[in-house]
Amino acid sequence: MANKIPSFLLDRSSYSPPKRGSGKVKVSFVEKGINHLAGVIKRGYIHWEVLSKKGFFQKIDPRIKILFLVFFIIIVSLKRDLLSEFYVSIFIFVLVLLSRLKVVTFYRRVLLFGFIFGFLIALPSALNLMTKGEIILPVATLSRPHDFWIYHVPATIGITAAGMLGVAMLTMRVINSLSLSFLVLYTTPFPEMVRALKILKVPDTFLIIISLCYKYIFIFSKTVEDMYLAKRARMLREENNKKAREWIVGRLALIFRKTQLRCEEVFRAMVGRGFSDTIKLYGFGKMRATDWASGAILFSMGLLFLLM
Amino acid sequence: MEKIIRLKGISYSYYDQIPALSEINLDVVDGDNLAVIGANGSGKSTLLQIMGGLRYPSKGRFLFREADVSEKFLRDKGSVKFFRKSVGYVFQDSDVQLFCPTVLDELLYGPLQLDIDEKEALDRAFEVMQMLEIEHLKERPSYMLSEGEKKKVAIGSALTMNPEVFLLDEPTNGLDPRTQVFLVELMFALNEAGKTIVLATHDLGLVAELGARVVVLSEDHRIVKIGSTDEILGDQDLLLRVNLIHEHAHLHGKTKHTHLHSHYLLHRHSS
Repeated sequence: MANKIPSFLLDRSSYSPPKRGSGKVKVSFVEKGINHLAGVIKRGYIHWEVLSKKGFFQKIDPRIKILFLVFFIIIVSLKRDLLSEFYVSIFIFVLVLLSRLKVVTFYRRVLLFGFIFGFLIALPSALNLMTKGEIILPVATLSRPHDFWIYHVPATIGITAAGMLGVAMLTMRVINSLSLSFLVLYTTPFPEMVRALKILKVPDTFLIIISLCYKYIFIFSKTVEDMYLAKRARMLREENNKKAREWIVGRLALIFRKTQLRCEEVFRAMVGRGFSDTIKLYGFGKMRATDWASGAILFSMGLLFLLM
Repeated sequence: MEKIIRLKGISYSYYDQIPALSEINLDVVDGDNLAVIGANGSGKSTLLQIMGGLRYPSKGRFLFREADVSEKFLRDKGSVKFFRKSVGYVFQDSDVQLFCPTVLDELLYGPLQLDIDEKEALDRAFEVMQMLEIEHLKERPSYMLSEGEKKKVAIGSALTMNPEVFLLDEPTNGLDPRTQVFLVELMFALNEAGKTIVLATHDLGLVAELGARVVVLSEDHRIVKIGSTDEILGDQDLLLRVNLIHEHAHLHGKTKHTHLHSHYLLHRHSS
């Protein structure tokens, strides 16, 4: 082997100290994407860490939690006044505290999504173009009212009190629904939550597909991260976007191929363990007294909110 | 001998959640032949990736030829060129490393990045292919190669850049015996040619064959001992403690026999 070593590998004259100050390497969109991917994996780990805390909601049977989620989302949708929605919010907040979740992180996410999907989307409906009523905040004034087809544009366009109330109501509903969903998501291991969907008569085949997807998103995210590290190990300068796109396409093809192969392997493994044409998932055992008690408390609170 | 790599108080945790390395202090000298050994999950690959400038430590400093290698350092065009051409990395999973259309393109990628003219780059690629006995594969895409061939191409892709330091992560894992022997000989030859070799492995057989200086990582991600091959492989208590050998029982004729087992060197029977 020694005599086969190419002469260029024996050349050590080319090593020179770094010449700094020749400009910065730009962070490519690929790297940003990979960082985002790492964030997804990180959130997955944080999720598991939160689950391991011994809080009130973590201890409850997932079936109770799924029924609680459905029941309370119906309540939130049925309530017609802001005060009731506010009471529900306070109740959820207490549950978040009892479950020892990180309050700031939890509500940062809830309020962000609530602002985008509740407030911003509903805001145009607060204008007197959509909701009639007393204008509390004029936005624009035209020389005269306009009418075309079935639409009427008044001379003064502004936000009405009734419109604002509608926006506030919708935002509160979105925030409450999101809080409920995140509360259940953050306190229930994903596989258990999927299995608990059996109580809503979701077919087992569908449940196992969701579980497998979730698992392989993690596995392939790690592979993609490794691929990027391998590329970085041989990258001496920034790449133009065309090259970066070519690399991504190549990697997508490889991931697709790996996914196909893995899919075939998983299928063979399932066949090897007795799979014929139906999937039967193991259900849950009997619920404990504490689960029934927690369920009764949550159900009673729900009834109270309904009657309010 | 000049210290080419210096790790000072390095700690690393994945996603700020999972600890992988804790308070690592290590010097690698020019022309070193170093094996990092440890059980699965002890942090060998992470240590190599930090030395390869692929991950940045959560705590501590990594110096390469006295340059402080940090994210900021590797954002500088001059520094990144200096570092990447000096350090070659071979990944455990060759699939993640090979991304060019054909084997020849893989071998040319590095030299062309280094602005080496096309003729010299081609010369390098063909010489490396000859050395690795993969000339007949030059037009093949990487997905049409066997695991051993992929590993050779992955090593070749680093070799054509002529780095000073080779970092090899589990280089012989999952390879057939003939390819394993080939790679061991290759590592020997490269080291004799003056290259610094750092490899991560839990294969004690490979460590024994290479006769490398050995760094032992414990399952709590710390360096527990650094020593010569004989010194480390002779310390059965240490190897047991770091989960690199285990006690097992099997039959010799009709007699049940229990002994320490490492799947290689320590697997010796007195009777």
